[in-house]
Amino acid sequence: MKRILSALLLVCLVLSLAPFGQTLAAEPIKIGGMYNVTGGMSSIDAPGLNGMKLAAKQINEAGGLLGRPVEIVAIDGKTDQTAVTNAVSEMINVHKVVAIGGLNDSTYALAAGPIAQAAGIPFVTAGATLPTLPEQIGDYFFMTPFGDDAQAYAVAEFAVKDLGAKTCWMLVDQAYDFTTALAAFFKERFTALGGEIVLEDKYQSGDTDFSAQIARLKALSPQPDVLFVSAIPNEAGITTKQIREAGLTQPILSGDGFDTPLIAEVAGENADEVYYSTHAALDNPDPKVQNFVKAYKEEYGRAPENAFAALGYDMMMLIADAIKRAGSAEPKAIRDALAETKDFQGVTGVISYEPGKRVPKKSVTIIKVQDGVYSFVKEFTPE
Amino acid sequence: MSKNALFYLALLTGLVFLAQSMLNDYYQRILSVVFINIILTVSLNLTNGFVGDFSLGHAAFMSIGAYLSAVLTLPPASKASMMPQLPMWLSQLEVPFVLATILGGLLAALVAAVVGIPVLRLRGHYLAVATLGLMVIVRVVAINWTAVTRGAKGINGLPAFTNLWWVFGWALVTVYVIWRLVNSSYGRAMIAIREDATAAAARGVNVTAHRMLAFCVGAFFAGIAGALWGHLITAITPHSFSFLITFNVVVMLVVGGMGSISGSILGATVMTLVPEFLRHVETNLSLGGHPLYGLSQIIIAVTITLVMIFRRQGLLGGREVQLPRLFDRQRALPRARVDTAG
Amino acid sequence: MFSLPYIAQQLVNGLTLGSIYALVAIGLSIVYGILRLINFAHGDLLMVGAYLALALLLNTALPLGAAVLLPMIIVGGVGVLVERLAYRPLRGAPEVAMLITSLAVSSVIQNGTIMTLSAQPRAFRLPQELIAQQKLGVVSFSTLDAVSVALAVFLMVLLTLFVTRTRVGIAMRACAENLRAARLMGININQVIAYAFAIGSALAAAAGFMWAGRFGSIEPFMGFLPGLKAFVAAVIGGIGSIPGAMLGGYLLGFAEIFFVGFLPPELSGYRDAFVFTLLLLVLLIRPRGLLATGAEREG
Repeated sequence: MKRILSALLLVCLVLSLAPFGQTLAAEPIKIGGMYNVTGGMSSIDAPGLNGMKLAAKQINEAGGLLGRPVEIVAIDGKTDQTAVTNAVSEMINVHKVVAIGGLNDSTYALAAGPIAQAAGIPFVTAGATLPTLPEQIGDYFFMTPFGDDAQAYAVAEFAVKDLGAKTCWMLVDQAYDFTTALAAFFKERFTALGGEIVLEDKYQSGDTDFSAQIARLKALSPQPDVLFVSAIPNEAGITTKQIREAGLTQPILSGDGFDTPLIAEVAGENADEVYYSTHAALDNPDPKVQNFVKAYKEEYGRAPENAFAALGYDMMMLIADAIKRAGSAEPKAIRDALAETKDFQGVTGVISYEPGKRVPKKSVTIIKVQDGVYSFVKEFTPE
Repeated sequence: MSKNALFYLALLTGLVFLAQSMLNDYYQRILSVVFINIILTVSLNLTNGFVGDFSLGHAAFMSIGAYLSAVLTLPPASKASMMPQLPMWLSQLEVPFVLATILGGLLAALVAAVVGIPVLRLRGHYLAVATLGLMVIVRVVAINWTAVTRGAKGINGLPAFTNLWWVFGWALVTVYVIWRLVNSSYGRAMIAIREDATAAAARGVNVTAHRMLAFCVGAFFAGIAGALWGHLITAITPHSFSFLITFNVVVMLVVGGMGSISGSILGATVMTLVPEFLRHVETNLSLGGHPLYGLSQIIIAVTITLVMIFRRQGLLGGREVQLPRLFDRQRALPRARVDTAG
Repeated sequence: MFSLPYIAQQLVNGLTLGSIYALVAIGLSIVYGILRLINFAHGDLLMVGAYLALALLLNTALPLGAAVLLPMIIVGGVGVLVERLAYRPLRGAPEVAMLITSLAVSSVIQNGTIMTLSAQPRAFRLPQELIAQQKLGVVSFSTLDAVSVALAVFLMVLLTLFVTRTRVGIAMRACAENLRAARLMGININQVIAYAFAIGSALAAAAGFMWAGRFGSIEPFMGFLPGLKAFVAAVIGGIGSIPGAMLGGYLLGFAEIFFVGFLPPELSGYRDAFVFTLLLLVLLIRPRGLLATGAEREG
């Protein structure tokens, strides 16, 4: 037993020392890649890290930044707040990264952000959409995506103006910050536009059976014009399927939690009249989008799993853009350059930060699923 | 306090002082997590190791301690904006960290007392399920009682009060209190209950009262640990206190050896540091350009299985490690003589 | 206030959910009865079964029955293998040592799946005839629901026959009753335990097929929730008792559906709290579950 353990320890030691043997031409610029690659968040976070790494690879192939290569220090946060905070602290204090990017959920961003803030290291979240994050964490925290308010408002406006909806039924996952916030913003704008929420029903992520909620919906008279489902990707397909199987035909609306191939795959022929807001339409003919999709396929052998891959890519490019404009890889200079980002052309849209704001004003893409096919409907640019 | 105890206390304090002044934030953070896990494991040991009640409710008590202390330490300004529905007196209250921590622990102990009356009638795996149920109920309340807990949003922006001194101090208090308790008549009664509850009752031990005492004291320190954790991470949500945390603490306890305080300390330290260390290995490792995330979890799992197979009683197997006595010459000398003779 | 069809519909829903819980709970309970091991890796075997079924559905032209049966056989084998590698060396060890080991096994299976297959959820689509909606009087259900319930009942009848009519089955019950006495009577303990793991794991694989079919997608963590629920179900019924596990499974299924179905929507968020409160009540009235066996030893 002892021998096995000591042998194991030795192997670990050798392996952990291995990278120090490599020699590098110019000292690399280290950027932290903070993602939960294992655990419950991994289906969203792993593509994000892949997107980030792809961007870094492209940057290095094009000669790096300021003549130096970019090195991503990626540590697994294990979908555990303690591990995430430890990892962020390690990136800053041990690996001396100059900026950190990543995380797609506010639960983890709210734990990780303050550490970077206190250390004066810019943190760019790739996919956490809580709009108050930068305000709550501080001036070193930036968002790559639009806020939930922007996407929920866009969906509400789309429902009222394009679909002519006056009444709405809501189904909200109570378990997540993201789903409850999205629902609240949608409700706010939908009622402000003169709509009425006739019933707001709830469930908990992990449920497989929505028959009770759907039965209550069916009992409504008159029937609501649209159905808003605030769910995470895992439940997007199953809710759609069960609503349609119950014979209800109203349009189903949601946010970027519905941006998953699971809707078509799970609900099949039933996947019609589904509209959701998201960051990018991957069938967008724009060469920027198509080049990304092509490069991702070449690198990983599959199409980007979801929009978080594109967001991870944009986040890395956004940081690189700031470093280039700053002409320096000093954290403070990067932060200042980030804050001045203007018309940054990303795969997920154009990013600009208004003075004092670190949530980008970005266009929201509305996508429609009809007969299992996803297609671009329109783009909302918030005023 | 004996000279030996004073010496070791001074030594530990000195080490913490050194760590605090020389190590960077990352290492201090890891050490803080170690101390918090020591508090959790040693306190869980009281119910699971000494009384023999298999509780899985530690995360529930942590949650209670973390939430209450968070509501108490948040500055009134942030409370006004984050929790507008809070009653006036609570929203204007700002309590010092130490008091908030203690109150968090007390509330956890109070909940343990109330829940314990019915639940502690159960034994074995039935108690395990019941305490697991407590965890689910606490989480559901945290998700739905939005006026105080902010629901799934959780509470963030907690002042980062937790530092090495706090966690070290509380770990000391925990170890001291539980060590005194275990080595008192109460502790002997608890061990008697673990070995044979019927026989203990026949000898006049009040079984229910002792099980209750252990449950509440354990819950108190779990609440303390929760408060410390909350002010270290600075953001808590209902998902922060999941099955995962309870299971981790149980693993630390069993790997260290149930029924041994030094075992708990060892288990908590090893099971906090090893995964952290393996993470470095995993991060630097890749197979044909394909990173091996998840490997560290597998290595840990296999190692735990091996430890269980080859040392089924845990690393220390219920025994205590005795620190060498440095100042107590009367006792130290004869032992030395035996050693040289042998 | 609730129409008759609505109530009937909720009963059907409870029945299908309960069938799945019951199948998973039986597997936990058989193993527990003999080894006093709460096998936290049980839910992960359910996940493995679902992945295997999907692989068969996608890559082979085998009939649907094979997509249920083959994973049951393979996962049954995996269960035996896990027992041989991880649990048998621990025979006679404290219960917690085995419990911790089962947590470790669960971690290995989950992380192994993530590393090899990625954590992306995959659609679990069944042929159209299985997901088609049927109407029987006032209630509607999918063919899958009907098949699930029928299959669950069939498997449970088969299992009951097995434990009452065959030598190994009777030996299994003898071991659950008193392991030491059974060994003294010349029963091959290792063989009986291997059978218990094979049967329990095979049932989990069958449940995995049903769960995946119901949920429509599968992912590496899908086993956790049904595993935990089945644990609760087994305890309600009296862990170690096979009829108890069935009863507990159905009770839990009905309880979950009814709490959401018949309480106002504002309260449906409290469902899990209600379910666990119910569990506590059951345990307070019957501290060893509804159908406790005499075998449950102290502690």
